[in-house]
Amino acid sequence: MNGWALFGPELFVFGAALVFLALCLVKSPSPRRDFMVALSLAALVVVAGLAALKAQGTLFAEAYRVDLFSQVFKVLLALGLFLVICLCSRLNGVEARHHPEFYLLLFICTLAMMLLSSAVHLLSIYIALELSSYSLYVLVSLRRARQMAMEASLKFFLVGITASAVMLLGLALLYGATGAVTVHELARILPGAADRPLVQVGLMLTLCGFFFKLAVFPFHVWAPDVYQGAAHPATAFIATASKIGAVAVLVRLAAASEESGTYLAHALVALSILSMTVGNLAAIAQKDLKRMFAYSSIAQAGYVLIGILSMSPDGYAAAIFYCLALLVMKFTGFLVLVAVAFDGANIEIAELAGLHRRSPLLAMALMTSLFSLAGIPPTIGFTGKFLIFNAAIAQGHLPLVLIAMVNVVISLYYYLMVVKAAYLLEPALDPPPMQLPAAVNVLAVALVAFMVVFGVYPQAFIEMARFAAAALLK
Amino acid sequence: MAGIPFGHVLALSGILVALGVACATARRNLIMILLGVEIMLNGASIAFAAAALRWQQLEGQAFVLFIIAIAAAEVSVGLALIVHLYHRTGSLDPEKFNMLK
Repeated sequence: MNGWALFGPELFVFGAALVFLALCLVKSPSPRRDFMVALSLAALVVVAGLAALKAQGTLFAEAYRVDLFSQVFKVLLALGLFLVICLCSRLNGVEARHHPEFYLLLFICTLAMMLLSSAVHLLSIYIALELSSYSLYVLVSLRRARQMAMEASLKFFLVGITASAVMLLGLALLYGATGAVTVHELARILPGAADRPLVQVGLMLTLCGFFFKLAVFPFHVWAPDVYQGAAHPATAFIATASKIGAVAVLVRLAAASEESGTYLAHALVALSILSMTVGNLAAIAQKDLKRMFAYSSIAQAGYVLIGILSMSPDGYAAAIFYCLALLVMKFTGFLVLVAVAFDGANIEIAELAGLHRRSPLLAMALMTSLFSLAGIPPTIGFTGKFLIFNAAIAQGHLPLVLIAMVNVVISLYYYLMVVKAAYLLEPALDPPPMQLPAAVNVLAVALVAFMVVFGVYPQAFIEMARFAAAALLK
Repeated sequence: MAGIPFGHVLALSGILVALGVACATARRNLIMILLGVEIMLNGASIAFAAAALRWQQLEGQAFVLFIIAIAAAEVSVGLALIVHLYHRTGSLDPEKFNMLK
């Protein structure tokens, strides 16, 4: 297969971004036109991703590796982009003249994440990570409520550049200590050099950049403010698609350094416990729905880390599967949020009161997504957590899994508070039933069906995740 | 490698990064915070240049060139943000921005 075909999905996303660059230059704003163009291009990105699923090879002087692992992540990213653009049909939170820029940045960020999932050279990993971060900083600041958005963007930016500078220092130390510049060279050299302090410090600092993306404990401080300050679809994108790229590269690095002893695993265990606990405890106190989602996603990042730190093919497969589950579960939550907050403003959890009478379908979608996030059977979230915990126990991380179980119980409390608001609380004023477009209803039904059906029959996706993880270790 | 041992250059880059961290955390001015992070990036660049010499590879130097370009992009995004905030609020003090909580 020649190089251009291997690079197909990325080139297509790049072309789509150029279309929006051209639309940015058109004087008359037309939100409807922008939305239809974005939706059809995103659908084509999914098709392009699926068409390239079996592609295999290396590009750009071994700096870029296309294998089943990266292609699966690219399909997930394309799916995330498509779903997020489905949320943009009204896009009230962003001024009409900024819509083309909004889509431009979404496509650029997806492109960067796709590059990240295939990057195997330290330099290409760094550049892809920065590209995705910079587009997100601007994306966050585009909200109509400018004061709030600018503050969120500023906090995101300051934490982000600090994390990336720390990561760069880590890369420098790693390179200085080993002379390896690709992930495969690292995998070859690390087992013999893992006990050297320079390598250990370098590896840990390098991971900081990805912890920032994933909002893992020491670098989680941006998440609540950014979730609250960004426009709803931008938040949905940050919560779903932007985590996937970080997981991809973390799994790749973990697979490369898995023989470098237990030191890395121990550090990851500590971070995972802290993320879960901090995220879950802080989420209990939140009133704003998006801030609650932010803390919940910090906790979910902790669960993903458990899969990665198991450092076994089963662990990686579980992490990949859980990525897919998280994408669908979190997105369903945001679908409800966007439908309820129709004017683009933030809503408090208490404002969900009476949702079950205003729109029974949305209330059910919200309940399924929250139960799935909490890990209640028979949902895909339960299956994902089961796979992750199973893989961790097989590697002897029983205490960690017990702590994670305690955290699952804590998280159940605040998820149920939201369900209670939607089902049991009565609003002070009786709001009229919601008029939802048919497309939203269809999407909600499809997502609920996905979460339940593939929670009971996950075999196909587990197989896919296993093959992807196997491609990684080849 | 000729003359300067790797460890010495690493110490220099460590000092630069530490200065950058100090500047980024201690100063209460957005532009100085941005400058502090830039100094951290330069510290990492020196470590890359030294490592390139140590391993006699060009990759490390390529890293440095890319870091310079990326740092420029970072500053342009950051300054655009900071200038816009300054126009709206008339302040560069990060503690003034505490609306979200």
